[in-house]
Amino acid sequence: MTAPVTIHRLATGVPGLDTVLGGGLPEFSFNLIAGAPGSGKTTLAHQIMFALASPERPALYFTVLGEPALKMLRYQQQFTFFDSAAITTAIRFINLSDEAVGGDLDRVMERIAAEVQAAGPGLVFVDSFRSVIMASASEGTATSKLQGFVQQLGVQMTSWQATTFLIGEYFTEKDANPVFTVADGIFWLRQSLERNSMVRKLELMKMRGQATLPGLHTFRISNTGISVFAPSPAAPNGEERGRAPRPRLSTGVPGLDDMLGGGLPDGYSLLVAGPSGSGKSILAATFLAEGARQGERGVIASFEQHPTQMRNGTLANLLDDGSVLLVDSRAPDLSIDEILLLLVTAIRRVRARRVVIDSLSGFELGLAPTFRDDFRESLARLVAALAAEGVTVLMTSELEDRYTDLRFSPYGTAFMTDAIIVQRYIEVDSRLRRVLAVVKVRGSAHSDALREYAIDDGGIVLGAMLPEQEGLLGGRPTRKPVPAGVSDA
Amino acid sequence: MTTADSRRIATALARRTGRGGDVRQVADAIVALWRDIERQLTPIIGQRGVAALHGRSLFLTARVHPWLAVAPDRVALAMDLDALRAAVLQQDAAAAMHGCGDLFTSFHDLLSSMVGPALTDRLLRDVWDPPTSGTPAQEPNG
Repeated sequence: MTAPVTIHRLATGVPGLDTVLGGGLPEFSFNLIAGAPGSGKTTLAHQIMFALASPERPALYFTVLGEPALKMLRYQQQFTFFDSAAITTAIRFINLSDEAVGGDLDRVMERIAAEVQAAGPGLVFVDSFRSVIMASASEGTATSKLQGFVQQLGVQMTSWQATTFLIGEYFTEKDANPVFTVADGIFWLRQSLERNSMVRKLELMKMRGQATLPGLHTFRISNTGISVFAPSPAAPNGEERGRAPRPRLSTGVPGLDDMLGGGLPDGYSLLVAGPSGSGKSILAATFLAEGARQGERGVIASFEQHPTQMRNGTLANLLDDGSVLLVDSRAPDLSIDEILLLLVTAIRRVRARRVVIDSLSGFELGLAPTFRDDFRESLARLVAALAAEGVTVLMTSELEDRYTDLRFSPYGTAFMTDAIIVQRYIEVDSRLRRVLAVVKVRGSAHSDALREYAIDDGGIVLGAMLPEQEGLLGGRPTRKPVPAGVSDA
Repeated sequence: MTTADSRRIATALARRTGRGGDVRQVADAIVALWRDIERQLTPIIGQRGVAALHGRSLFLTARVHPWLAVAPDRVALAMDLDALRAAVLQQDAAAAMHGCGDLFTSFHDLLSSMVGPALTDRLLRDVWDPPTSGTPAQEPNG
């Protein structure tokens, strides 16, 4: 007999969690849910319980405190996953406060064991014991008593043919709590505070027998319960780059496609960098409008203007007629994974071919401060994930015109994108004029011209080069000195 | 609390006391109903949780029926049904039925305000409308 035991994986009912778990929750596993008060432990436990419990697979939920059991029922009902009909048919709450009075843990253990034997549940949840034990003993002995109890409970729970959860705020990572060794899975819920923002994060510190996604995963608690923003898998189609020539997409700006060497290669990411008012959003809207004209759907994540007061008429029309879908990115304290999930969901829903992120600067401001330090890494992940979806992406980026140094983005993001267009202001004859250039198109010939352009009702209108001027990129070009021989003639 | 709920409680009480019962039968029926409630709710909210709700509904109902002012002054560990029974026996059968009907209604309301009418109905259904008369409100496990 060499066949390994087959472990069934249960769908937790928590969006994104099964992905982080590496395919679901192993049946008959013994799990810890740890975290500070308010971190969402009970909500997570309830959500999993309501998803998995049925008359055939009943659940027992042990609580310790008296009145708070009522409060728990009261508040958990606010989540859409709460199902009153399941209470007493598939789910039984059992209150252990009477056994726990005086801190007699042996009685608590006996009662739990007796109830489990009597009911034969498929799921068992044991909520926090800390308060009881702390009340019944001095600080030092309480800790050791608690550790002993939890370990004993852990061993018991492992022996039941049930998927079990122990919930508590009493675990600290530094103590090598013996129950960590016994547990098959450890869910750690955290709240990361920085300035005024709070971001919830989940870490699977351990899950036996399967490859989980490592790291901290952001999640949100809404009226539907917890949603985990699992990272997207790495781009699978990266290798195909550079093989057969890609079809090209038109930008919709007359002349710009020629500058790009025949349009923007399909699946590329394009960064449009320029100072405020240089027409980045207009270029982005034109790009989407051109797609719509060819029957392609688009998605835009706009961090700049409120959609209802969008001054850009082109974009407003595209949103109205449904050829472009707006990703609502106004939630506070966003994480890259959350925005990525929103984007990917929208892209798949409308089978979008063109995606616009307007702008990276606004996006950075929309992120919770805790993610800003890792903005470049996160952005690289975003670009890779969008590439994996096969869409062509246009991102705009505010570029402070310094004139003394030539930069394409404030983040050093230039290397991540496949193509770059830079826009700048220049001063000529006491007027502020605009020029743009294609700086890069990966694997393709492109124009090196610096072209003047204007913005009218139809969008961007490319003009001529300014061959008689030099030093354009310094912002204050000078007229080239006329060669002596010519003036004499 | 809907009128339907009050009527349901009154019907349950009448069913337990039987026709033309004297006050002793009424007292027995009331205590039996409280035992059913306790059996149904203790597993979920604990003995103390039930005692707290019971004490609160006694306090509220005593405003209209002062003879029900038997709620303990301090936090109770369990319901004091002996005290309630003694108070009931001081009344005639009709007054006892009326007062305790209001008491159960108040308890039902209180629970409903905490966990909502749907869940309250589910938790107390077997108390007010027992599946078959004569069987315990909650079937034994296993």
